[in-house]
Amino acid sequence: MATRFLSARWRANDGPWALLRAVVIFVYVFSLGPILITAAVSFNQTNRSFFPPRGFSLRWWERAFAPEWIDPLLFSLKLGSLTALLATLLALPLAFALYRYRFAGRNALIALTLGPLMLPTLVTGVGLLQLFQYLGWREYIGFTALLVGHVVICMPFAVRTVSISLQTLPPNVELAAASLGATRWLAMRHVVLPLIKSGVVAGAVFAFIHSFTDVNLSIFLARPGEVPITVKILGFLEFGFAPTLAAVSVITLLLPLILVAIVERVSGLGDFIYGDHRRG
Amino acid sequence: MEITVVAEPALRLVGIEKHYGPTVAVAGIDLDVIEGEFVTLLGPSGCGKTTTLGLIAGFFHPTAGEIYLKGRPVVDLPSFQRDIGVVFQDYALFPHMTAAENVAFGLRMRKVPPAEIAKRVADALDLVQLAGLGERRPLQMSGGQRQRVALARALVINPTVLLLDEPLSNLDLKLREEMRVEIASIQRRLGITTVFVTHDQSEALVMSNRIAVMNAGRIEQIGDPSDIYERPATRFVAEFIGRMNLFSGQVTAARTVKTARGLEIGVPVPQEIAAGAAVHVAVRPERTHLLRDKPADGLALRGTLRQVLYLGPTREFHVELEGGERGFVEAPNDGAAPPFEPGASVWLAAPFANCRVLPART
Repeated sequence: MATRFLSARWRANDGPWALLRAVVIFVYVFSLGPILITAAVSFNQTNRSFFPPRGFSLRWWERAFAPEWIDPLLFSLKLGSLTALLATLLALPLAFALYRYRFAGRNALIALTLGPLMLPTLVTGVGLLQLFQYLGWREYIGFTALLVGHVVICMPFAVRTVSISLQTLPPNVELAAASLGATRWLAMRHVVLPLIKSGVVAGAVFAFIHSFTDVNLSIFLARPGEVPITVKILGFLEFGFAPTLAAVSVITLLLPLILVAIVERVSGLGDFIYGDHRRG
Repeated sequence: MEITVVAEPALRLVGIEKHYGPTVAVAGIDLDVIEGEFVTLLGPSGCGKTTTLGLIAGFFHPTAGEIYLKGRPVVDLPSFQRDIGVVFQDYALFPHMTAAENVAFGLRMRKVPPAEIAKRVADALDLVQLAGLGERRPLQMSGGQRQRVALARALVINPTVLLLDEPLSNLDLKLREEMRVEIASIQRRLGITTVFVTHDQSEALVMSNRIAVMNAGRIEQIGDPSDIYERPATRFVAEFIGRMNLFSGQVTAARTVKTARGLEIGVPVPQEIAAGAAVHVAVRPERTHLLRDKPADGLALRGTLRQVLYLGPTREFHVELEGGERGFVEAPNDGAAPPFEPGASVWLAAPFANCRVLPART
């Protein structure tokens, strides 16, 4: 039944569908194309970045796994994970306060929370650097400053996703829990948190990805030995685009993808990634 | 020797008020519900009935007044310490739990041992005829089944009072009629004190021991279903429950009622209503009949038949009375042709026993 209906629609609206197909192809060429080219370049035998690659070798991959690259990669992983954790922990009560209550200063708090989304991260980075210097916290520039900056720029994502899941919370479930004898905390733990779980997890994932891929802010707050992978890549670009960089880029790209895949498998991000509204 | 047993009411509301800024949702309610009683708060939307229920449940704090559950003042107790069971209009089941887990929730919160939980959950599901469906999730169930889960969840904790907030309004007609009989019979069987909120008068009439008709944040009248239907105390109750012929007028010196349009209604006016007072004469359409000739006794209003409505089991005869008032008669359809055609000159008649004179509120 359904397929027949669908095929009828295909025939009836060939024009728009052809256009849609063209757009999809366009999007795929320009989003997947660069990734595939980079991946191909990393297998060059020569030390120049030819595409299509000349010969085949894994020596650039070997180099990509040297401490020079692995250290910043692990640094970024650590930074991203901690950022995701802190941003989500802060976002939970914040989203509750903003979504549930009307209070003086609520609009200001919303602006402060979501502001970093609108502000160029570059500006946030410069500002934070100056703040740390002004406060005489030079020794914190590096991991600590990066963590602060990343939490600031990543928290809006978590606040958004948690707020959205709070809005889709069925009405009255908290009252129902209370009437059944659950204290606020027990209602939160057994009813609210499980129901907004996908929003919380999505917030953490977005925060991680945003942190992991950030370069604009990180470039100001890094210090030798405490450098995220993105800043390291950017620095290396001064010497031209070597095949090593291609290999490192592929790794940097795959890590968040793998993370998303795992989270999707374990807890499901459907609602937030695909705009799906099934709930179970 | 005389022994008087004054039972503590299971639920007592004293002077309950709830204001939201300048808006008064509940304007002062006193209500005693005795152990095992099924009391319905009936009224149109916005009359404060659901707010009252929320106040009993402890979802919000009254602006004034006190609530007693089995003699214990509870106004300052949070919901989770009140020992009440609530069935919500939208059921408010926990979608991430199975039916059995939903029912078990209240027992888990009470730290009942797991073995006992399992048994009581099974019994509760059995009671609402959902035995064997415990592993389903709410999304896999029909509206009627969800409703039963919600009922089982509220009942399994043996609450002091069961509160039902329009639990039938989301069901289709057939199921609604089934469920109201079923809920009432479960309630009678368990003897659980119940407050039921609805805007549906037939639900209220079928299910309740007593009905409190609410209007504008107050109880207009409280009584058993036949009290409310047969002897409405105010125009609001008369019109809200069932259907009514209402004629507004003034009591004359001759103890009749004269409408503004000059129709004189020869109905005996109770002693306590003074001449000149504004009143309504109320008579149920099914307690009136049409006659060709003026009857010797009782209410008799002359008019012209304007319309005959065929409703299947009954017919409605709409009459334009002298002076322009309108009235109607509801008569069972016995299969014969209607005795009058539109245009006929008729008398709308009823024994005085079927008429009520209600003081108009100023």
